[in-house]
Amino acid sequence: MWVMKEIKDFVGQFNASIALDASHIVRNRNRYYLLSKKLKHHVPESFFYAGSYLGAVKGASFFPSFLLLSMIAETKANKMVVDKKTAWLFICGRDIFKKGILEGNKLKKGDYTLILNEHNECLGFGKTTCNLSEEADANKVAVKNILDIGDFLRREKRQPERQQRSRRLQGRAGKPRKPTRK
Amino acid sequence: MYEPTNGSYKNRVCHSIFYAASRHQVLLAQPCSIPLMSGKPFFVNRYQKLGWTYKQVNPQQAIRINTMNAGRDDVVNRLQSLGIALEKIPFLQDGYWIRKSKFSVGATAEYLLGLYSIQEAAAQIPATLFAELEDKTVLDACASPGGKTVQLADIMNDSGVIVALELKKRKMFALANQLERSRVTNTAVYQMDAREASKMSMKFDCVLLDVPCSGNYVTDKGWFNKRSLKDVERNAGRQRQILAEAVEVTKEDGELVYATCSLEPEENELNIDWAIANLNVEVETINCHGEKGLTNVFGRELDHSIEKCRRIWPGQTQGFFVCKLRRQACG
Repeated sequence: MWVMKEIKDFVGQFNASIALDASHIVRNRNRYYLLSKKLKHHVPESFFYAGSYLGAVKGASFFPSFLLLSMIAETKANKMVVDKKTAWLFICGRDIFKKGILEGNKLKKGDYTLILNEHNECLGFGKTTCNLSEEADANKVAVKNILDIGDFLRREKRQPERQQRSRRLQGRAGKPRKPTRK
Repeated sequence: MYEPTNGSYKNRVCHSIFYAASRHQVLLAQPCSIPLMSGKPFFVNRYQKLGWTYKQVNPQQAIRINTMNAGRDDVVNRLQSLGIALEKIPFLQDGYWIRKSKFSVGATAEYLLGLYSIQEAAAQIPATLFAELEDKTVLDACASPGGKTVQLADIMNDSGVIVALELKKRKMFALANQLERSRVTNTAVYQMDAREASKMSMKFDCVLLDVPCSGNYVTDKGWFNKRSLKDVERNAGRQRQILAEAVEVTKEDGELVYATCSLEPEENELNIDWAIANLNVEVETINCHGEKGLTNVFGRELDHSIEKCRRIWPGQTQGFFVCKLRRQACG
C-alpha cells in the first residue's frame, strides 16, 4: 500500500519500524489517519479528522504528526534526551547544541533523531549536523531542528493569516472587473 | 412647546413643520415609554427579578489535567516547579485555578504535550455529569474549540467513540489541533450542523449539548452593548432545534447533558420546560456546583423537575447553566 510505504520510509529514517494495521489507515484529502476498530466500523468516512492523525503528504514529502513521532519514540529508534533548557529552546524552534544533550551521543552526521525531554516525552525531531561522538566543541550546533511541538502555537497564529489571505483572494476573485474603455 | 397659529397657507406649512419638530423634541426629552430590550440596566433588572444581584466579577483562569496522558500529582508538581501557583477547584476532580503565573500557561511544554488543557472552571462541569462513559458512543453536538471533547475522551480513557460536530470550518482546525495536541484517538470530527445530526444515521448512548448561546458579561466585556432580548430569543429558538434533533439521535434511556454559558432563562430553564413538554425527556438529578434551576421565571410557573438543573451565577466562575436529561422509552 502506497501510504504504508510513505510512513514506513519515514519511520525507517529513524532506524525504527512500527506495526500499523494498513486496513485501518484511511486517507482523507492528503492526510492519513489510523482508526480504531470501533471508529472504522461505526463512523462514516466523510470526516474532517478522526482517530490518530499520522501525517500528511505534500508533493513528494511526508509531514508526520506528533502522534506518529510519539509512536516511533516508543520503539527502538534514533533518539536523544536533552536537558531542560535545551528542551525549551528546541520547542521555541532553536537548534540543539552538543552541550545540551544528555543521552544519545552516538549518532552520526545526517542521522534523523527524535528529541526527548528528561521525562522521555517526544518534543519533535531533527537531523544531526556532525558525528556526535567525535565532536569536541560543546557550543556547536549538533542537531538541526526540523519539527517541534511549538508548531501547535505557530499553527494557531498561521491559521487566521491564512484565512485572511484566502478571504482576500476570494474577494478579489468575486469582485466584478472594472470595464475598460477601448 | 411651539403652538401653531392661523395664517396664510405658507405660514401654516411652516407652523406645522415647527410644531412637528418641537413635538419631536419634547418626545425625545421625555423618558421613553417603550421599554428598551437591551442595554445593561435592562439585563441587570432582569437578573434582579430572577433573584440575583449583578456584580462585576473576574474569575481566575483554570486548567484541567488530562489524566489519560499523565498523573495528576505529576503534572501539578511539574507546573509548580515552573513557578505556577495552583489551587485545587473544590467542586472538580481534575480542575485547578491558576493563582499566579509569570507567563502564559498556554505556552509551556506540558501544555503542548497535552498534559493539561486550559478550560474555564464552570465549563468543566457538563462532561462530568454522565453516569458512565467508557466504551460508549457519544455525540458532542457543538464541539469547537474542543475543550469538552478532550475532557470526554479523558473520562472515557480514550475508549469507545466520540462523534464531534462543528458547523464552521474555520473552527474545525482549532478543534483538530486540540485533539492532536491532547493525543485523543477515539474521536471523529465532522463539519455538520447539529440540527442535521440524524443524517449520520447513528444512535448515541450519550449526547453533550454545549449549544451556541448568547454568552455572558463575564467572558465578554462588551456583552451588554452587543446583546438584546431579540438575540437571546433567536438563540433560544436555535437551541430548541438542536435539542429536538439531539433527542432524535439519542438511544432510548440514553443521557443528554444540556449546557449554556448564558444567564438568560429563555436559553436555559424555558428551553428545558419546552423540552419536557414537547420531547420525550425527563430531567435527571445531578450533584454538582451551582444553585437549583428556576421554576418561576418572571411570574411564569415551570415544570417542578427543572429545579434539578443547576444555574451558576457569576462569582468564582463565569455564568453557566447545566441540565441532565434522559430520553424515555417510547410508548
